[in-house]
Amino acid sequence: MKARVRFFARFRELLGAEVIAEPAPGTSFLTLIRDVTRGNGEGHDAVFDEGGAFREHVILMRNGKRIEATDAGETMIADGDEIAVFPPVSGG
Amino acid sequence: MLSERERERYQRQILLFGEEGQERLKEAEIFIAGAGGLGSPVAIYLAVGGVGTLTVVDSDAVDRTNLNRQVLHTDRDTGVKKVASAREKLEALNPDITIRAIDAHIGEGTAAKLVGRADGIVDCLDNYPARYILNRVALDKGIPLFHGAIRGMYGQATTIIPGKTPCLACIFPKAPPEEEFPVVGVTPGLIGMVQVNEVLKYLLGTGDLLANRLFLWDGLQGQATEICVERNPACATCGDGAERGRVKRRKG
Ligand SMILES: [Zn+2]
Repeated sequence: MKARVRFFARFRELLGAEVIAEPAPGTSFLTLIRDVTRGNGEGHDAVFDEGGAFREHVILMRNGKRIEATDAGETMIADGDEIAVFPPVSGG
Repeated sequence: MLSERERERYQRQILLFGEEGQERLKEAEIFIAGAGGLGSPVAIYLAVGGVGTLTVVDSDAVDRTNLNRQVLHTDRDTGVKKVASAREKLEALNPDITIRAIDAHIGEGTAAKLVGRADGIVDCLDNYPARYILNRVALDKGIPLFHGAIRGMYGQATTIIPGKTPCLACIFPKAPPEEEFPVVGVTPGLIGMVQVNEVLKYLLGTGDLLANRLFLWDGLQGQATEICVERNPACATCGDGAERGRVKRRKG
């Protein structure tokens, strides 16, 4: 099973533009992003808070549809999913 | 009616939009929230394009650290109020339009009055709390909010049409932490142009707006991407249970 994870803006600088992941069936959105960011301290900490939850401003999308952070643990990844993870930028 | 001067000034774009289109721009009033990195290119191009009335609101004075990106202001404007500097440049660029330059802070109590009867709001702000206030004003007045934001070499833009698209709070329910953001002038230049392009299409009723689409720009990779965005039925601002100014007034 393959899923494409794309990062944007600051997350891209820290974690790279995209990762083609091969999650096992039954992997949740939350687990997938944790796995993909594991081993990258700064990248992981930009996406997740101290308790391991998504930081509240982080935007999560699957196939163009938003996933609420609170649902990410129960949302299962399907083969071919396109995942986007990004922080809104705020400057003007 | 366009004057002879105006016909000359806009000759090359009348080839695109026709005199009728140009008259529509002339009749329009656009509110520009902020005269900084985004506000500068946005105001300049709306002015030269002939949008008839531009309201520019900002409460800051020009600082030398602004000058790498805030192209409305020049070195000799340091210390001058941004709206005063903006008025001078915009009137010089196009004396055939009306510039309303207002030295004010966009806050909960002032925003609706400042926006007045504008046909649209261009978000050239640098923080989400003020953006959320304008988002609410746009919803209450039923006018579009042309959102843009930048950081470093990244940017984002979308066009919010009340009743037809998600609102800003549907797309970004939580503000990112505040910071002194890094920025190079080309990024707000580019995102500002996306916003102006949206304003013009909206006023002219032409093309496809960035409605329900979030435009993401990565200047490092030279790559633009877009992401579908949807209304959030549980949105605290526009959702079914949300308490909006208009709803409250109707009840009262
Ligand atoms: Zn909303």
